[in-house]
Amino acid sequence: MATLGQPWQAPGGKSRTRPHSNLVSLRIAVVALFMLLTAQLFRMQIIDGRDYARRAEENHIAVDTILAARGSILDAEGNPLVVNVPLYEATIIPDFLPKNAEKRDAIYLEVERITGVPALEVREKVKSAESDRLGYIGISLATNLTKGQALTLDEASIHMPGVSLAIRPGRDYPAGPEFAHILGYIGKQTREEYAELRSQNYALNEPVGKAGIELYYEQELRGQRGGVAAEQDAQGTLVRALGKTDPVPGNSVRLGINANLQKYIYQLLDDHLKGDDKNRDARVAAAVVMDAKTGLILAIVSYPSFDNNLFGKANNDAAFNELINDARKPLLNQALTPSAPGSTFKLVTAAAGLQTGNITPASGVCVTSKVLEIKGENGVIYPFYDWREHGCINLNDGIAWSSNVYFYMTSCGIPGYARGLGKDPETSAVVLGYYARQFGFGQNAGIDIGGESPGTVPDPAWKRRVHANDNPEDREWYYADTCFMGIGQGDVSASPLQVARMTAAVANGGKLLKPHVAKDIISPTGKVVRTIEPEWTQVPVDARNLATIREGMHSSVIYGAGLKAGRSSVDIAGKTGTAEFFLKSGEKAQHAWFTGYAPFNDPEIVVTVYFDIGVGGEKAAPIAGQIFDYYWQEVRGR
Amino acid sequence: MSAFAVRRTSVFRGWDRFDYVIMLTSGALVLYGLLLIHSGSQREYSGPFLNFDNPVMKQAVFATFGISLMIAISRIDYHYFIHYSWILYAIGIVSLVALYGLGDSAFGSTRWFNVGPIQIQPSEFVKLATILLLARYFSEHGGDARELRPLMISLAIVLPCALLIFFQPDLGTSIVFLVTWLGVVLVAGVSRRHLMVIAAAGLALLPFVWTFAVADYQIERIDILVDPQQDPLGAGYNNVQSRLAVGSGQVFGKGFGNGEQTQLNFLKVPTKDFIFSVLGEEFGFVGAMVLFGLFIMLLWRGIRAAQIAGDVAGQLVAVGIVVLILMQAFINIAVNVSLFPVTGIPLPFVSQGGSSLVSVFISLGILQSIIMRHRAYRQT
Repeated sequence: MATLGQPWQAPGGKSRTRPHSNLVSLRIAVVALFMLLTAQLFRMQIIDGRDYARRAEENHIAVDTILAARGSILDAEGNPLVVNVPLYEATIIPDFLPKNAEKRDAIYLEVERITGVPALEVREKVKSAESDRLGYIGISLATNLTKGQALTLDEASIHMPGVSLAIRPGRDYPAGPEFAHILGYIGKQTREEYAELRSQNYALNEPVGKAGIELYYEQELRGQRGGVAAEQDAQGTLVRALGKTDPVPGNSVRLGINANLQKYIYQLLDDHLKGDDKNRDARVAAAVVMDAKTGLILAIVSYPSFDNNLFGKANNDAAFNELINDARKPLLNQALTPSAPGSTFKLVTAAAGLQTGNITPASGVCVTSKVLEIKGENGVIYPFYDWREHGCINLNDGIAWSSNVYFYMTSCGIPGYARGLGKDPETSAVVLGYYARQFGFGQNAGIDIGGESPGTVPDPAWKRRVHANDNPEDREWYYADTCFMGIGQGDVSASPLQVARMTAAVANGGKLLKPHVAKDIISPTGKVVRTIEPEWTQVPVDARNLATIREGMHSSVIYGAGLKAGRSSVDIAGKTGTAEFFLKSGEKAQHAWFTGYAPFNDPEIVVTVYFDIGVGGEKAAPIAGQIFDYYWQEVRGR
Repeated sequence: MSAFAVRRTSVFRGWDRFDYVIMLTSGALVLYGLLLIHSGSQREYSGPFLNFDNPVMKQAVFATFGISLMIAISRIDYHYFIHYSWILYAIGIVSLVALYGLGDSAFGSTRWFNVGPIQIQPSEFVKLATILLLARYFSEHGGDARELRPLMISLAIVLPCALLIFFQPDLGTSIVFLVTWLGVVLVAGVSRRHLMVIAAAGLALLPFVWTFAVADYQIERIDILVDPQQDPLGAGYNNVQSRLAVGSGQVFGKGFGNGEQTQLNFLKVPTKDFIFSVLGEEFGFVGAMVLFGLFIMLLWRGIRAAQIAGDVAGQLVAVGIVVLILMQAFINIAVNVSLFPVTGIPLPFVSQGGSSLVSVFISLGILQSIIMRHRAYRQT
């Protein structure tokens, strides 16, 4: 053994060389490598540390969502129009399937036996998910299993790794197609919707309102989802429960809709449109019954309708395609879809004429021929037709008999006899357009079921805009444009709801009400949380002038064009409308309108009826009369 | 009689030359490691503290053994080891070959023998034997690597071990071997031209290595490092979890025993390869800086040993040991902070594992021996 002082002599001989002394590079290597590590640590722990801390948190805290029971939708009497039901769904998670192809096929066949989804289709879905590296996400195979299928699947899934039964909250709408447009439906969130709803604390599997009340009052109906949070380890074992939040059921929405009235009107329209050949000309129809003082909708019917239960169901492609391909467009709410309002618009023209002082109740005109020939621009002779020889009439008769010539006189004027609303046809149109907008035309009424189109109030600027790419002569505003506008023809269009709203404003002394289907919001415990208060804007027409118009409407039902609406149960005032238009075939046809209110001296409700084909006084007026009758006898009386 | 007297007194003499800084820093690293092993094994082990089954106790026992060996070896002239290095080397090669037939596997790799309650990982000891053999070869053949022939022969010493370990497979350790060789030949004055030729040859061979020798899992691990989210529950798992652990520790860490990533088993092998993630999570950036400080201090003393070594053999051995510890520490931490693909390299002194601990303390013992004898071999 060598000591410290004595060098040990190796058998191979003594080391002969001097040590190298430059070890700086080694020092640099030590410092550099640790600097590199420090830099990376600085980035991870100090710059991105907060983000990592949040992700680490999510990593070990598992939250199981408990969805809240969705609020109900009730009719005016408090009867539910929807029922919450479970939806049974077969799902498959490719990553949990056996690796063996034969075992997989056996599972696919078993799935086919239980759910009826072809095994080949299942295999394709799994394959495409796996090739997209999305095998860890469940694929929905069938979304609307029967209870029996669901039970069988649940039992069988024990032997089928990867296949499972999922239960989602769904809605059943037992009230029938009469209510489909009002209630709307719910559905799964789309990818885009989820991106937005996530910030509002929505769970991915939470259904969301897609149309109607379900959509508009989503925030009320939805409630608050609860959840169980637990700390879990890497194997998914729960380590400790962190807490539980109970879900809060959604509020219910009570509608102003009287279910019986709604059904009665739908039946009435159905009978009328499906009736004998004489009546079968009309294909679609709509009716609105509105409280004349509050804007609460008592009934809003669109015919034909559809079964809104279709949307929650799987394998309904056939029924769905039929719906989409139906030329009558059942999905469209006819009560909110604009078309030419015809003579109902004369109420607006009358209001504009009276308010601007262009006419007085005593202003008269003599209609001695069905054709009035007027020399227009560049000496062109326009033949203007009226529907009958009215004789010499004043405003009251003009409204009662719905004289076109009278309202040409009021709106565009008759050269050499009376001036229009403005100094020339263009200004006349602008003035009339102003009053039309004040009565709610050309804009959405803001009804709480959505699906509105604003319709059109034309004026010279509008015409130049929409015909910007057409011939210069098409862009110009002509004398005749103002005249046609004055009788609700030409480019004017309005929905039955807009007409009803205008009628209510005339009836109630100038309040243009915001229509609403919902009456109040009710908490799960039955307390009224919020009442939907009436909202309105004041129409700038004097009460005196509106009273004059109401007299005309009264006369219309007593002896005029609206005679067939007259009823003994209640004193009705109203206005017919027959708007000419051309069918796609080129044939001339007419929309039939009637809009009125009752009782005459203390307006309670407004009824507006629309048929896409027919004559107002003949077709729409009697139906409106029946609706008034039913309301007074069956709804109001009780 | 007088010779006997010299021998008797020599045991108590010369301790003034012993490097206590090395002793203290390595001891501190071991203590740090014991703390982390305790934290990382809390959910695995719940038995009594004083038990050989307790990973902390087991590590402490190995550490005590290792430190004793270090002190004992510091008394022995390092030239003994250098002289007999070829025997150690031969034993190493044989045991590496034997691993292919007799070894035990874990995580898809065969790296150790089971001997009763302990596992012996030969590669830990082969590292040291190779360094010693390199030092012997160079000191006997002119003391430097300026000529091509000694350079190639030195490469021939390292390559068999590196390849045997590479095919275990253990990419990380084989890289440690090559870098250690590089460190030694650089200090031995290798010509830059030669090195470039070898590097070029290596690069030319790389595609073949990539195709025929690198296992799919290794490519996958490199892929994963680039985008760990591509398979977060599969190959990217360790990477994602260690990132989350280290990153979420932020400046001061979550506190001892409070790291959810560690305590809820999200980290795999939290007392071994991923022990640094435990440190990062529970002691944060500050804790990591303390660890880095200890390592740098230790390595600085190692470089000092190389500087003052009495002869070429001692210097090269010291350099080899410094590079060995540096590279193992660097690769291990780099894996933990996502700078390097996942590879099973322990953090010297800190990671749980007897073979690693004992072999690294033997290295320190040899380093001490070089320091204590530098005057005796200094040549003028």
